[in-house]
Amino acid sequence: MSDEVVRIDRFSLVDITPATRDFIRVDPQKCTGCGACVVICPMDLWKMREGRACLAEDYRSKCMECGSCFIACEYAALDFSYPPAGEGISYRYA
Amino acid sequence: MAESYDLIVVGAGPGGSIAAKTAAESGMKVLLLERSRTPGEKNVSGFGLTSKAYRDFPWLKKMELPSMRVCRKCVGHFLSPPPELDERVCLYSGPSRRISYPEGREFFTVMMLRREFDEYLAGEAVSAGAELRTLSLVTGLVRESGRVAGVLLEGGDEFRAPVVIGADGALSAVARLAGIREKWRPDEVVSVCCIDYSASRERLDWVIDDAAFHGFFGPGIGGNYFMCMAEGVHLGGPGVGNSLVSRLNRRRIKPARELLDTIKAPSCRNLLKAVDAVPREWQAHLLPWLDRMPTNIFGPGVMLVGDAAGLPEPIWAEGVWQAMYSGRLAAEVALEAVDEKDASHASMRRYLERLEKSPVGRDFIGGTQMRNLFELLGDERFFGELTEMAVDLFVAMFMNGQEVHSEAMARFLPILAENLPVLMEVGRIYAPVLLEAYSGAVRDKLQLLKGLGAIFSGMAGTAQGGGKGGSQPGGEAS
Repeated sequence: MSDEVVRIDRFSLVDITPATRDFIRVDPQKCTGCGACVVICPMDLWKMREGRACLAEDYRSKCMECGSCFIACEYAALDFSYPPAGEGISYRYA
Repeated sequence: MAESYDLIVVGAGPGGSIAAKTAAESGMKVLLLERSRTPGEKNVSGFGLTSKAYRDFPWLKKMELPSMRVCRKCVGHFLSPPPELDERVCLYSGPSRRISYPEGREFFTVMMLRREFDEYLAGEAVSAGAELRTLSLVTGLVRESGRVAGVLLEGGDEFRAPVVIGADGALSAVARLAGIREKWRPDEVVSVCCIDYSASRERLDWVIDDAAFHGFFGPGIGGNYFMCMAEGVHLGGPGVGNSLVSRLNRRRIKPARELLDTIKAPSCRNLLKAVDAVPREWQAHLLPWLDRMPTNIFGPGVMLVGDAAGLPEPIWAEGVWQAMYSGRLAAEVALEAVDEKDASHASMRRYLERLEKSPVGRDFIGGTQMRNLFELLGDERFFGELTEMAVDLFVAMFMNGQEVHSEAMARFLPILAENLPVLMEVGRIYAPVLLEAYSGAVRDKLQLLKGLGAIFSGMAGTAQGGGKGGSQPGGEAS
């Protein structure tokens, strides 16, 4: 029997209208490289590069706007606000 | 010139729409702002509307939505530790006959899609006379002599009102702009991932019927659930541990990974297969999960409701009924404030006072212990032993065909004695909840006992011919 129920391709299962401006900002001076954002992101959009958190360049078309990275960062290195109205994630079955 | 309203509500989720509906029905001129294209488009929750909502908002009984499935039974699957995740106990139950109101005795929840529900409630607000404006992102607040007096939208539009209600979710912009809260601490929130599956309605009717909630609990897995709608299954949950902190500091397990691990449990995977489940959407959201009722939820000219206020309750983080209840209360306070032309800090404080006394506020009694229960759900020593004790007591004693019945039953006391440590752990969690809930009543009873004690010792003293010693405790008691 196929195990389709356990194979999840996250990126094909979201409907996102790419945002036309940035809505997450990182302050590299404040980032301590703790990696909290890397652990918590449900889309794996954060990577560590040279000891600093680095956000995927195409996050505007992949971010689900949950804000987990913003809350997880205890060094105020990361700011999050909502993307422009009508842009970003659109849930059909939530 | 900015347009003026009596009340501006930011966010057309359940809290915002109920606030707007309540205010509009009272004759207020209300503006309801929503950043998405349609209400509900941005909102995630594995959503069952609890019977409490039907008790408190009886007009909901006329609501018919395509995704609805009534949940009259809940199923708890208690699993062995990974990698087996074998089902050790399964608790299948309808609502208790002791619930205090009829809807609660009849069903647990009605499962449905937020997309449909939020749109329905926003429609109710509009029917009551509120003006709904979608595609409206609030990026600033208008201030007048230290009070919030309106909002600014991205793009420059400005709207004014003596009271603004922030119903804009866990990452509330209103809370931040009003200076009420910059952001939650990592130990105050939980990050939840969900997978939504399409499923066969016919199979769901056969396999699931009205047992629409299945929770999966066990060491290394606890707290994930799936809920069934008319033609869909929604798998989600906070997983093991109870906040971003517990995840980040202790486990460093990604929430997405945890959810996918749950599906590896045969009882979960097989149910999904049996209803022809096919993944159709990946979802993630953040919710406040506080152990104490938050008090920082208002300011001059502004009130926060629902997730923006941090109102999800401490055990399951249920938040929709809380949002609706707080939305209605905030609208009532806004109406009074507008009538009295007083939206000061003192006037808005009435909202907090009423909320604290309401069932929403009282649900936080013993909250610290309740929220920490989720820590124990992932604890092998505690949770594994409790599950096995349940098997030993009920299965080995009564459902036993392997041994002489009387001998199996004679094990009752030794089993209890053997499990004393884990039972004491249960008591350690339970006792403070009860103490907090009944501390007032307990204090009164103790006072009474003290009084009685004084009388008795007074009598004893008199009987012994003393009398002097007896008067002292009596004096203390008064």
